[in-house]
Amino acid sequence: MLQDVFLKVWDRFELYDSSKGRLFTWLLNVARNQAIDKTRSKEISNERKTRGIENLVNKVERQEYIEQGVDSIGIKEILHGLPEEQQFIVTHLYLKGYTQSELAEEFNIPLGTVKTRLRLAMQQLRKTLGVT
Amino acid sequence: MNVHEYISSGILEAYALGELAEQERTAVEKNLALYPELRQELLRIEKTQEKLLRMAALQPRSAVKDQLFIKISQQKPEEKEVQLDTVKVTSFWRFAAAASITLALISSYLAYNYYSKWKDTQHALTDLTEQNQRIAQDYNQVNERLGKIEKSVEVINNPAFKRVIMKGTPHAPEASATVYWNEATKEVYLSIQNMKTLALANQYQLWAIIDGKPVDAGVFDGTDESGLLLHMKEIGSGAAMFAITIEPRGGKPAPTLETMQVAGPV
Repeated sequence: MLQDVFLKVWDRFELYDSSKGRLFTWLLNVARNQAIDKTRSKEISNERKTRGIENLVNKVERQEYIEQGVDSIGIKEILHGLPEEQQFIVTHLYLKGYTQSELAEEFNIPLGTVKTRLRLAMQQLRKTLGVT
Repeated sequence: MNVHEYISSGILEAYALGELAEQERTAVEKNLALYPELRQELLRIEKTQEKLLRMAALQPRSAVKDQLFIKISQQKPEEKEVQLDTVKVTSFWRFAAAASITLALISSYLAYNYYSKWKDTQHALTDLTEQNQRIAQDYNQVNERLGKIEKSVEVINNPAFKRVIMKGTPHAPEASATVYWNEATKEVYLSIQNMKTLALANQYQLWAIIDGKPVDAGVFDGTDESGLLLHMKEIGSGAAMFAITIEPRGGKPAPTLETMQVAGPV
C-alpha cells in the first residue's frame, strides 16, 4: 500500500501545482485517496475500519514496515483538548480514513454539521499547535 | 461573495482534505485566486493538518525505499516516455502562454507609448500650423505696406506729380499736408503731418477748388498708415487750390468752411 502511494507520487508529480496548495496537502490527498480506493476495492468491512488508531498502529507495526512507532500519546493529548464531538470528527477523518460523506451517512450527522465541526476543531487545533 | 461565511462553511477544510468533487474543487480554486483572505486561511488549515498528521507519522523502513526504486526501474520505458511527452507538451504550452502574456504586455506598453507620442506630435503640428498662418499673415501685411511705400516713393519722385503744400489755418496752426497731383492721369495722393485724431463720427475731407467751386476729392481718417501717401479720389483738371475740412463721417457735398484745417494754392 505504502509502495503504491509512492509509485503514484512518482508518476504524477508533474500534476502537483504549488499555487494550489502545499506539497504536504497534495501528498496527503494522493495517499488518502489511494487508501480509500484500496479499502473499497477490497470491500473491507466497516467492522475493521472502526477498530481505532491503536489497532491500526499495532497492525502496521506487525507488518514490520515501521522503524518508529507513532507518537500516539502526543496526538491523543492534543485531541483530548477538543470537545468530544469534534474529537470524534477529527479522529475519523484524519486517522481512520473516513470521508466526510461516509461519516455523515454512517453516524447520521448532517454533512453540514460534519463540516462546521471540523472547522471548529481545526481552529482550536490551530491554537494548540501554534500555527500562525 | 461573503468571504467570512464562505470560510465558516468549512469548505476549505474539505478542500484541504481532498474531499471535494471536481466541480466544487474548481469553484474553490477560482475563489482562492480571487480572494487573498481565502488563500491565507487555506494555508493555516494546511499547516494545522500537517502538524497534526506529522505527530501520527510513521517512519517506513529503508527496505521500503529500496523496493520502491526497484519497482520504478522495472516500469516499462515506453510508458515513462509517453509521460515525458505530456510533460513536454505541458511545459511548451506553459511557455507559449507566458510568451503570449509577455508579448501582450509589451504590445500594450508600446501601443500606449506610440499613442502618446502621436498625440504630442498632433499638438506640435497644430501649434506649427497656427504659427505658420500668423507668419503668412504678417508677411502679407509687410508686403502690402512695402507695396504702398514703393508707390509713395514713386509718386514723390515722379516729376509728373505737382506738389501742393497746404499750411495750417488758425483752427489748426500745427497741422500741414501735401497733395501730389498728376493732372494728366487725374491721380491724387495726400500726405499729412500733425493732424489731430478725430471723433469716430467725423472724417477729414479733401477738396479741390476748380473754377472757384469746391470739388470733393475723398475722405480719410487721418490715423491710418502714418507717413504713407493716401490715395484719394481722382479730380478733373484745372484745380487752383486744395483744402481739408472736418465733416461728418462719409463727407458732405459742400465743405464746412469753419472747420478748414489746412489749405494751399497749386
